[in-house]
Amino acid sequence: MSMTAILGAWIAVFLTLGIFSYLYKDNPFYKIAEHLFVGISAGYWTSIFFWTQIQPNLFGRLWPSSEFSTDSFWYTIYNGLGYLSSSVFPEGGIDKGHDMHLIYLLPMALGIMMLLSLIPKINWFARWGIAYTVGMAAGLRAYGYLNSNVIGQIKGTAASFADPNLPFFSLTSPSIFNSIVILVGTITGLLYFYFSKEHKGLLGKVSKVGIYFLMISFGASFGFAVMGRISLLIGRFVDLIKYSGSEYLNATVWVLVIMIIILGYDAFKGSGKGTTVSEDAV
Amino acid sequence: MKAFTDLILKIGRVDRRWIFLVLAIVVFIPILTPIGMPIRATVTTKVVYDAIENLPPNSKVLVSVEYSPSTKPENHPMTISILRHLFKNDHKVFVTCLWPDGQFMAQDALKQVADEEFGKIYGEDYVFLGFRPGNEAVVKGIVSNIRKLYTVDVYQTKVDEIPLMKDVNKFSDFAFLFTSSAGYPGTIEWVQYAADPTGVPISSGVTSIQVNEVMPYVQSGQMQGVLAGMPGAAEYEALIDQKGSATSGMDAQSIAHLVIVLFIILGNAAFFIERKHSKKY
Repeated sequence: MSMTAILGAWIAVFLTLGIFSYLYKDNPFYKIAEHLFVGISAGYWTSIFFWTQIQPNLFGRLWPSSEFSTDSFWYTIYNGLGYLSSSVFPEGGIDKGHDMHLIYLLPMALGIMMLLSLIPKINWFARWGIAYTVGMAAGLRAYGYLNSNVIGQIKGTAASFADPNLPFFSLTSPSIFNSIVILVGTITGLLYFYFSKEHKGLLGKVSKVGIYFLMISFGASFGFAVMGRISLLIGRFVDLIKYSGSEYLNATVWVLVIMIIILGYDAFKGSGKGTTVSEDAV
Repeated sequence: MKAFTDLILKIGRVDRRWIFLVLAIVVFIPILTPIGMPIRATVTTKVVYDAIENLPPNSKVLVSVEYSPSTKPENHPMTISILRHLFKNDHKVFVTCLWPDGQFMAQDALKQVADEEFGKIYGEDYVFLGFRPGNEAVVKGIVSNIRKLYTVDVYQTKVDEIPLMKDVNKFSDFAFLFTSSAGYPGTIEWVQYAADPTGVPISSGVTSIQVNEVMPYVQSGQMQGVLAGMPGAAEYEALIDQKGSATSGMDAQSIAHLVIVLFIILGNAAFFIERKHSKKY
């Protein structure tokens, strides 16, 4: 086993147990793990975004190697940028299979405007970039939701009634009974969210049926949420067991013992100012 | 009877850290000493299996990886099982990622299955296109012109130089899509922007939390089945007859569920007894 793998295992164990230690109470181990996670995630995402989109797809379209020319003013600017970073702007243009598209100066300008939000005096520039993003996302999503969530779901809810081959009742496969349940659930659930009339009389009774459907749905969501969390816990435990082996220098055992001693000493001295989980919930 | 109700009330007031400890123990023990509880495939899992099984040989299948190490125990066994099934049936696999971390998860799965288990040749049997930022815009880009979005693969090889990428220009060139998803962007975006508009069949493996969100698409026929969390992955492992990490985690999962159900019953019992007492006085 290489030293890098062993070191990685020790770090993984420390961070896992550091996060788990919050279940006892808020403490420095948890804080270290939390801050490392936030910092590393931000750095990792920035790096990945830059090297998978900005460098190849933005700069790669503005200064492609296929149209590189030493006489061109445009590539003189590029060569100047190359002095700043030769890995981002390599000699001879960026070779990512693109042709030149100067229209990409527009998204670059909008991106720079977004970054200007860091300068208070001219932070209003950022609104242009945000306006573009909001408009684009709203248009894109409106179509997707209308097509798949409205039309597709209505079709799915109604289609089963027209199928003569369906059995009347089946627990595990499509049936007329299941279609009726879906239809009743959909209509009563929708009526529960109809607020233009007071929920009294027939509407009140129907919307109450809708509440029961919603409660069953929330129950199922809760069940699935529990299942998901337990799955993740199992995953961490499997790794902790693996790293407790002698090939990893018993990382789990040592880190666990050291953490318990330090947290125990802290509790014994009564200096622990961290909040217990139970207090958090109050 | 009073002693019993007092005991229930006492349990209802127990410090939640004891509950965490009990759960940790009941999860830990079955991992160390597996019981081997039976695993039977549910209908939704079987539909995914059949959809892949019924694909003609040498079909072009897009596998999209949308999860990070945080949901690895749920999603990774699904990805591995699906890749095993696809390579076993000699399909051509194209891998994309909508999540940056998904790239490393996909790399790990491909190394294990394509390289080590099946000895598949990169560029001829499978292509790893990798991650592109942009969420649903990436899905739209793949649907309209995949070559515009991916001019190079994850190893910076131009896609024009990859033999398997010949005749692959847009999403409708694929015969099937499987997405292993842990949230946004993921399964729902693939249904909305790719599968529904083009009619290319889609199946998905999702985390347990997502199951309720994607189930309506399965019921309406917009998706062909779904692998629901770790149990879904374990069921798929049983169907392809290759046990993996999901199967080994199912004992702990089942016992933990029983204990949680017990806690819920006790908590509710304590709540109702307490309410009854407070009404009395």
